[in-house]
Amino acid sequence: MHPLTFRKLLLQCFVLLVVLFFVVVIALKFGAVPVSLYALGRDLLRVIIGQSSQISSDYGLIVQNIRFPRIILGIIVGASLSVAGTSFQALLRNPLADPYVLGVSYGAGVAAILGLLAEPHLALSPAFAALLAPLCAFLGATATITAVYFLGRRAGQIDSATLLLGGVITASFLSAVITFLMSTVNSGNTRGMVFWLMGNLSTSFQKSVYWFLAGGFFLASGAIYTTANDLNLLLSGEREAMHLGVDVRRVRLVVYIAASLLTGLAVSVSGAVGYVGLIVPHVMRLIFGSDHRTLLPTAALGGAIAVVVADTIARIVVAPNELAVGAVTAVVGAPLFIYLLRRRFA
Amino acid sequence: MNRPRSRHCDRLAQPSARPPSRAAEGRALREKGRSRKPPGVSWGFFVSMKILADSKGQMEKLLRPHFHSAACAALAFFLCAAAPSRAQSATTPSTDAPAFREVVDEVGRSVRVPQSVRRIVSLAPSLTETIYALGLQERLVGDTDYCDYPPDAQKKPKVGGGINPSLEKIASLHPDLVLVIKSYNLLETVHSLEELGIPSYATDPHNIDEIAASAKRLADLLGVPDAGATVADEMRQRLADVQLRVGALPPKRVLFVIWTQPLISVGKNTFLADALLRAGAVSIVDSQQNWPQVSLEEVARLQPDYLVFAESHGESASREVEKLATLPGWKILNAVSNRRYAVISDAVNRPAPRIVSAIEELARQLHPEAFIEKPADRREKTDRENPPSRPLHKALSTNGDSECIR
Repeated sequence: MHPLTFRKLLLQCFVLLVVLFFVVVIALKFGAVPVSLYALGRDLLRVIIGQSSQISSDYGLIVQNIRFPRIILGIIVGASLSVAGTSFQALLRNPLADPYVLGVSYGAGVAAILGLLAEPHLALSPAFAALLAPLCAFLGATATITAVYFLGRRAGQIDSATLLLGGVITASFLSAVITFLMSTVNSGNTRGMVFWLMGNLSTSFQKSVYWFLAGGFFLASGAIYTTANDLNLLLSGEREAMHLGVDVRRVRLVVYIAASLLTGLAVSVSGAVGYVGLIVPHVMRLIFGSDHRTLLPTAALGGAIAVVVADTIARIVVAPNELAVGAVTAVVGAPLFIYLLRRRFA
Repeated sequence: MNRPRSRHCDRLAQPSARPPSRAAEGRALREKGRSRKPPGVSWGFFVSMKILADSKGQMEKLLRPHFHSAACAALAFFLCAAAPSRAQSATTPSTDAPAFREVVDEVGRSVRVPQSVRRIVSLAPSLTETIYALGLQERLVGDTDYCDYPPDAQKKPKVGGGINPSLEKIASLHPDLVLVIKSYNLLETVHSLEELGIPSYATDPHNIDEIAASAKRLADLLGVPDAGATVADEMRQRLADVQLRVGALPPKRVLFVIWTQPLISVGKNTFLADALLRAGAVSIVDSQQNWPQVSLEEVARLQPDYLVFAESHGESASREVEKLATLPGWKILNAVSNRRYAVISDAVNRPAPRIVSAIEELARQLHPEAFIEKPADRREKTDRENPPSRPLHKALSTNGDSECIR
C-alpha cells in the first residue's frame, strides 16, 4: 500500500469540490423559473456580509425555499448512496453490491406506503404527519437491512454470496408486496406511491430535516472512514485481513450498520435513486485508485455531483413539468455500467 | 370520431384480413342459447393472437391515460377494422338475426349487441353511476370493487378492479353487454371479453359536453332514450345555470392537486380541466400530459389563487394543507399560507352525470358572491352553511396571519 500523502487527498477533494461548486451554481441557475446568476450572486453577497437578511428579488423566495434545499438534498442523497455503495462493495468484495441490491429501497417503499395508508387514520400534528412517510421509509430500510443481515449469516459468519442472494430475494419479495398493496388499495392513492419506487427529490421538508440528514451523514461516513485502512486490507480477502491483525467482525459490523444508516437516510427522503451507489464508486476507483482513504471522500463528492447533475436534468428537460431523478440516473447509469463492465473484461 | 388517421392504421388494419374464427362462432352459439360451451380455437385465432401480441406492448401504453390523439386514432381504427370479420362469421350460424343489432361505440368499433340488453356489467365507477342515473340499476348485474356510488352499487356482485377484472366472474354473470371506458379500462380486457363472446361497449368522453352526450347515447343503446334525454338535459340545465352565475366573472386561477409530494396535477386535455373551466376556474398548469408532475417552482412563480382538492371527505384535505403549511417549499404559496383552498367531492374525478354537482360545489366555493341572491332557486344547502362573504375554509385558518408559523 502506498503511503497516503495528505496533500494528494486534499488536492483530489479540492478538484471535486470545485466541480461540485460549479455544478451547484449551474443547478441554481436552471429550472422552471429563470434566475439571473449575477443578481443572485449580488444578493447572496449582501446576505453574507450582513447588509440584508433575505434574498430580495422576486425569485429569491423560490430559489431559497425550493431550489436550494433541493440541491442540498441532492448532495446529501448522492454522497450517502455513494459512500454506502463503496463500503458495501469493499465489505462484500463484490463489485455489484449496492444499497439497492440488498433490497433496502423496497423495504423503505413498503413501509412508506403503509405509512401513507395509515396516516389519515392517525391523529397527528401536521408537522409530524408530513414527516411520517420518510420516517416509515427509514424504519423500513433499517428493518430490511437487518433482516438481510440475518439471512446472510451462515454459522455465525457473514457470507457475501448468501448475503447478496438474501438481498435479491428480499427485494423481489418486497416488490411483490408493493404490487399487492398498489393493486388492492383504491386506485387514486397509488400515483404518489410510485414516488418511492422511482426516486424523486421534489419533496419539500422542514429545515430541521436537512440538519438531521447532514448530521446522520457525517456521523455514519465518519464511522466508515475510521475503518478505511481495514477495508483496504479486506480487499485481499477476509482471512488475509485477519492475519494482518484486522478485527474483521468489528469492521463488518461497523461498516454494515453505518452503510445501512446512510442508505436509510437517502431512501427516506428521495425514494429509490438507483445506480448512484453502483456507478460512482467504480468511476472514482478508475480515476483515483482503490485506496479507501481517498476513495471514500472522493466517492462522496462524486455521488453528490452525479445526483445534483441528474436532478438538474430531471428538472429542466420537460420544464415546467418534472421527471423523477431515478429515471435519469437509470438512463445514464445503466449504459455507463455496461461500458465499465465491458471495459473490465476486454 | 373524425380524428386524423395515422400511417399506423395501414399496418394495424391487417388483422382484419384473418379468416373468421371459430371463436366467434362459439360466441354466437352461446349468445343464442346461453350454452357454456367454451369457444373453439382455430389457427386463425392463433394468428390473430400473435398479431395482437406483437402490438400489445404498444397498446398497453396507449391505454394508459397519456395517449396521443394520433395513437387513439390508430387504436380506434384497429378495433374498428377487427370488428367486421367477427360480425360476418357470427351472422352465419345465427338464425334469429333480428335479436341482435350492430352499434358503433365511442371508439368507433362496431359492436353486436342483443336487441334488448337485460344484463349489464359495468367496469368503471363512472359507468355504474351513469346506469343508476338512467334508472337502470335492476339491469346492472355486476360492477367493480371501486363502484361506491350510489351506496346501493356497493351491493352489486363485484368483478374485481376495473384494470384487472376477473373474466371468470364476468362470464359467470352472463352479461348481455359489458360497459367499458377507454381512459380507464385496458384493451386486453376488451379482447379477452371478445374471445369469450361477450360484447363490450366503450365510452370515451373527453369533456363535460361529451359526458352528457355519452350518457344520452348509452341510454339510447339500452332502450331508455327518454331517461337519457332527461339526464342530459338536467346536466345541461344546471351547467347553464352555473355559467349564468360565474360566466361573466374573471376566472379564479387554481391548482388542481391530485397528489402533493411529488406534485401531480391535471393536464389541459382532461375533462377535469374542462370541469374547472365550467366552475369559473382555470388551471395554472398548461400541460399536454394528462397527469403531469409539476415543478413546485413553477407553481410558486404562478401563485394560484386557490388549491383545489377532490376528496370524498373534506377533512383530510384540510389536514393536507396544514401539513403543507409546515414545509418551506409550500409555505411560499400564498394559497397555502392563507389557507385558500377548495374541496369538492371526488365526483369530479368521474366522467358521469354527477360531475355537475362537483362543478356546482366548486363554483360556489370559488365565487361565493355569485350565489348570494336567489338562494330559493337551489336545492343545495351550501349557501347557508358557508357565509358567502368569504371563501369556504378560510375560516379554518385559526391565526389570520399564518406567515408567522415557521
